[in-house]
Amino acid sequence: MVILAVPTFGNGGLNELLNPRFGRCDSFTFITIEKGNIKEVRTVSNSASGAMGGAGIQAAQIVGNNGAKELIAGFLGPNAAQSLNALNIKIYQAPNQQMTVKQCIELYLQGKLLEMNSANVGAHYGMGPGMGGGRGMGRGAGRGMGRRDQF
Amino acid sequence: MPKKAIIICVTGGKGGTGKTFVAVNLAIMFKNNGNDVLLIDGDVENPNTYLLMGAQLENKKEVPYFIPKIVEEKCTKCGLCAQNCVAHALLHIENSFPIPMLTVCTGCKLCYKICPEEAIEADSKVMGWIYKTKIKNISLLIGELKPSEARSATIVEALMEDLDEIIRNEPEKFDIIILDTAPGAHCDVELLISKADIVIPVTEPTKFGKIDLTRIIELIDLIKKDYRTIVNRSSLLGFRDEFLKNLKENNIHILGDIPFDEDIVSSYCQGLPLMDQSNKFKHSKGYKAFKIIFKELDNWLISKQIEITG
Repeated sequence: MVILAVPTFGNGGLNELLNPRFGRCDSFTFITIEKGNIKEVRTVSNSASGAMGGAGIQAAQIVGNNGAKELIAGFLGPNAAQSLNALNIKIYQAPNQQMTVKQCIELYLQGKLLEMNSANVGAHYGMGPGMGGGRGMGRGAGRGMGRRDQF
Repeated sequence: MPKKAIIICVTGGKGGTGKTFVAVNLAIMFKNNGNDVLLIDGDVENPNTYLLMGAQLENKKEVPYFIPKIVEEKCTKCGLCAQNCVAHALLHIENSFPIPMLTVCTGCKLCYKICPEEAIEADSKVMGWIYKTKIKNISLLIGELKPSEARSATIVEALMEDLDEIIRNEPEKFDIIILDTAPGAHCDVELLISKADIVIPVTEPTKFGKIDLTRIIELIDLIKKDYRTIVNRSSLLGFRDEFLKNLKENNIHILGDIPFDEDIVSSYCQGLPLMDQSNKFKHSKGYKAFKIIFKELDNWLISKQIEITG
């Protein structure tokens, strides 16, 4: 059994779109997966979304406190990546297109998502305007960058 | 009544206007007039005064910076430290030890102070260094930020603690204390200006020079200090009169101007102070201009009823 976290828009859920902003997403959708099947879906609002600073660290805390060991993310800043690594949370790069949580999970279950272990954008990247859902996700950064074990 | 040192802060907003050049040469002129002079280099990212003075960096002292260290034997994993950390520099999830995120830690020590179990120890890392040396009978105190570190204000604060200690323990030791600041109008510069009796911003007759001068004067006014400006390289491309007129129209106080002078460039390239009486620059335009500025500075200090002893 593994709990997977996905940053989402609105209230989250399987049919909601993945939010490319990690620290400042509206909500997190937590999916419990057992033997290749979705067993449970929970949503938690992201209290860090409007934080002045340190949103990535606080969001990582929410992910950790909800028992997630794996995460699918679009843009990930340096503090978020560092925090997730410190909590031993495995990070998968979201595909470079708009996608619902359900579609992401399908790709995850098919083993089609790539692992990443470092930030793919600079600090405060998700704070600027114009970061709506229409923007392409991920940049393929972090591909083949080795195992998390070095942390 | 014990004698009190006059503290002069040389600043200027823009980089490369000649702050260090003015600070070093003022120090030498005061020394030549028989004063005991202390020169403090507060441009901790690029401390260069010692180079221009021909000094060596000596008597290195580390400037420590607080970092939290979690003592796992005492920690009850309550999370109080993480909840109260303003910078969110402690990562805590239920039933786990908090993890310090040192890249965002501001060193405020709040976690160390509030931990009910005293499970956070005050560890430290080196943020930079302070050097003490003496050259040509001028005492030098130099701050240097460790490359790759970001908290330059820590070094400037440490320099000011040393200054306070000197003023407290040896109030008669120096007649004149000159503070050389970094470019900009940020907290490092503010700290140095706030210690000064008078402030001398150095600028140049360019658009950048004027805008940055306006910014630094805004800061000086906010701290309620008296200032007078030196316009360096004033003869550059023939804008001198227009620039000085413009400053006067904007009610900016002027101490004087130094023309562009190849001898100054030469002195700078060789690392020899212009005003050093033993060298060959005595007949240069710059030397003469500096003499006039020094006289004006003397008049200014007299008008402020600050007397230079020595």
